[in-house]
Amino acid sequence: MGFLDKLVKHLSPGGYGQQSKTAAKERLKLALTYDRGGLAQGTIEQLRDEIIQVIAKHLTINEDEIDINFDRTTEEDRLIASIPLRMAPRAHTKRGQMTSP
Amino acid sequence: MAGRDITVTSGKGGVGKTTFSANVSAALAELGKKAVAVDTDVGLRNLDIVMGLENRIVFDLIDVVEGRCRLQKAIIRDKRIATLHMLPAAQTRDKSAVSPDAMAKICAELRAQFDFTIIDSPAGIEGGFQNAIAGADEVVIVTTPHVSAIRDADRVIGLLEAAEKQQIYLVINRLQAEMVRRGDMLDIPDIMDILAVELLGTIPEDESIVVTSNRGELASLHAASPAGQEYKNIARRLLGEEVPMLPIEEERGLFKWLARLFKGQ
Repeated sequence: MGFLDKLVKHLSPGGYGQQSKTAAKERLKLALTYDRGGLAQGTIEQLRDEIIQVIAKHLTINEDEIDINFDRTTEEDRLIASIPLRMAPRAHTKRGQMTSP
Repeated sequence: MAGRDITVTSGKGGVGKTTFSANVSAALAELGKKAVAVDTDVGLRNLDIVMGLENRIVFDLIDVVEGRCRLQKAIIRDKRIATLHMLPAAQTRDKSAVSPDAMAKICAELRAQFDFTIIDSPAGIEGGFQNAIAGADEVVIVTTPHVSAIRDADRVIGLLEAAEKQQIYLVINRLQAEMVRRGDMLDIPDIMDILAVELLGTIPEDESIVVTSNRGELASLHAASPAGQEYKNIARRLLGEEVPMLPIEEERGLFKWLARLFKGQ
């Protein structure tokens, strides 16, 4: 490595890419949610599927972009579900066009 | 006035419980308190050798429990500090030789004689741990900034809360300022965010711990030992003194920075 490369590497935080402590903290939070709640590993997947089923009964949703996760802070634990809705396609003509009589 | 029984535990092994127990007991004694450190790691005793008292053992905890001697005979008085004492564990038995009730009785007797009884717990959450927490209402959890240690500490906190222990403290041991600064080691706010119990102190990684335990000496009695001084600060906090926490600062300075650069680190 050249001198300049060394200089840049030294100045940037975490020589191994993203600061590894961020990964540590995220992994710990998730692991502890399971540990504390006595949850089995597959539960979050099951939860996800069931939530999708229920909501899909009432709304059209974009299943690919659903994000369901635990979020832990010192005060509380939350289950956060972020579910993008898909606009149902209109049954009739395109916007701006007059329908033929 | 009755003394205080404080159990030092962790879940994870090797994070510094024995070092803590030895050094904080010594610091308390040096501050004039009558202190006894109790080794409950039956079968794998280490408090004696860390404190440099391994050649003074005649009787141990199991001799007391099984009635072969009175408690007084098993307690070793440290010749370096008049008010520092130690009750060793047995080496040729295992944790089944003690029960939580027997431990609680011994702790009650010690509480009557000593200002501070520091109970060094073994690693784990089984019988040895149950014995160690039986006699105390105050518990110090020692952790290091590693995912494994923190996860275990969290489990232990849960068990202690279920056992309705009145006071739980956290000690974060073996912090490395440079790694924290780089973002490669969990820092104090991260750990507090996860574990959320009262912080008693933080100890930096320090070679003097190895050197002093090699010699059977106590770092908390050496003014030049950074870790030792933090153990002393913890002793002072236990006595109710307001001692500010050590900030995570590494030695910086232009020359050191440049030196590291040219060394190619």
